[in-house]
Amino acid sequence: MSSKNSILSALKQSALTAHPMPVIDIEVTPQPLVDTFAASLATVAGELHQQGGLAALQAKVDELMAQGLQVLSLVEGVSGNRQVPNTAHELADIDYAILAGELGVAENGAIWVSQTQHRVTPFICENLILALPEKALVANMHQAVNQVSLAQGELGVFVADHLKRQILNKHWLWGRTVHAAFRCICISVIRR
Amino acid sequence: MTELYSASGSKVHSHKADIFCRDETRVDWHSKALWVLREKRDRAAASIPEWEQLRQLGSELKLHTLTHLTDYLQQFEQQCQANGIVVHWYKDGQEHNQIVLNILAKHQVKRLVKSKSMLTEECHMNPFLEQHGIEVVDTDLGERIIQLAKMPPSHIVVPAIHMKKQEVGELFHQQLGTKKGESDPLYLTRAARAHLREKFLTADAAMTGVNMAIADKGAVVVCTNEGNADMGANLPKLQLHSMGIDKVVPNMDAAGVLLRTLARNATGQPVTTYSSFYRGPQQGGEMHVIIVDNGRTEMMKDKILAESLKCIRCGGCLNTCPVYRRSGGYSYNYTIPGPIGIAVGAQHDDTNSIPWPAPYVAVVLMYAQLRCH
Repeated sequence: MSSKNSILSALKQSALTAHPMPVIDIEVTPQPLVDTFAASLATVAGELHQQGGLAALQAKVDELMAQGLQVLSLVEGVSGNRQVPNTAHELADIDYAILAGELGVAENGAIWVSQTQHRVTPFICENLILALPEKALVANMHQAVNQVSLAQGELGVFVADHLKRQILNKHWLWGRTVHAAFRCICISVIRR
Repeated sequence: MTELYSASGSKVHSHKADIFCRDETRVDWHSKALWVLREKRDRAAASIPEWEQLRQLGSELKLHTLTHLTDYLQQFEQQCQANGIVVHWYKDGQEHNQIVLNILAKHQVKRLVKSKSMLTEECHMNPFLEQHGIEVVDTDLGERIIQLAKMPPSHIVVPAIHMKKQEVGELFHQQLGTKKGESDPLYLTRAARAHLREKFLTADAAMTGVNMAIADKGAVVVCTNEGNADMGANLPKLQLHSMGIDKVVPNMDAAGVLLRTLARNATGQPVTTYSSFYRGPQQGGEMHVIIVDNGRTEMMKDKILAESLKCIRCGGCLNTCPVYRRSGGYSYNYTIPGPIGIAVGAQHDDTNSIPWPAPYVAVVLMYAQLRCH
């Protein structure tokens, strides 16, 4: 018998009796999404810039490039000084990656990013800037998981919580974001 | 240090706890450090009005999945295959390790970067691969620390919690060439980052554990705070994910519930820094998912033990349990220590050395079960 059949066969002897799937009907607490998202993002040491949209983002990118920093932008309408390389490994010296955030989650400040080519891009850069479209906010993870894209062959990731100060905990080492981007800046095109 | 806290040698919990308790200062800060996590958990839970409803939903959806495991595992496999993911099924650790070796050998892998996986600890995979000439690099900071110190994890979420920063400083001085006497956490963390970046960039393959496997999507979810799983899985062209049969959940809705509770329970964070959903290999790459039983179907035959397979490994019961906090993870004689380790390790307890005595269980029930998912 194959290991698969052996496992499936053994499962027939389970002592558990069938339990129905619960109905997931969490009520959404009424809340101003932008304010809650901004507060959550601040809690996890992210930065939210709401003014000026993509033009402000390009101005920020221009500033970074003027400092000699390496900036890769995959956001339409924003230009960096690096092109998408042939191999993922060539992204190792990227200082700032500018990527599109698809969805922001108000309850925890997480932003969904999906990546097909060079999936390591949001992780390998030193700093990550996510451009989040207007109206791309949901209240909680229940809403988020039903709205995110996750196509075949895709990596989708909720990016959150760059709590750098935790590294300085006096008692022990805390490895948060030790390997991936040190800072997450969310440039939102939300206009109030 | 290594000898003092080695899991080999003494056979019973009380004796090993006694060894840990000889250093009262260490016991005190160990207990306090873990209690800090517990307090953060309480604050995070209190900030969600529907917290108790979430716990109930999480418990029920896991129970539902366990009672329909045959269907969900098969659906998961079919969906994975449709996404170009190769799925393997294996009965035990030995079979698991052998297939991992076979896959790595086929691709002539010399260096494997690995993120945290209690399953591979359970299967003792690292020493097996190392015996066959493969360099295995644990990339979670805490895991790398204990790997360099040649120790097993003492906690399932914060594996090097038993070590003081001065000890890590000395270890890094010896192994990574950092300055002698330097124990500044930021300095040490930066040194580990530089050391491990080189490993990521030169790795031939990556392996991760699996927090959830989504049956109707054919995707695996990997949660880390450090980004190490994703740095690994997306640089080399070969990615492997090992999971116990208990990790499957029906759909994204289920994942949404568990993602809301996992990090809040573990460390008090609203969500882990990276919650990554892999639904296929990268362009030109290969992705394998290895589904392992390793005693879980045996546990399913016992109604009480079967319920412990609902566990999402948040580590909250360890942080809560006063016995764990004051006896240390190495006193438990099993890879997974603390209250949940007693339950899921019971079937491996041939020498009756895991602490089951009634008073202990009473404490576990009183302090931990109330906080369990």
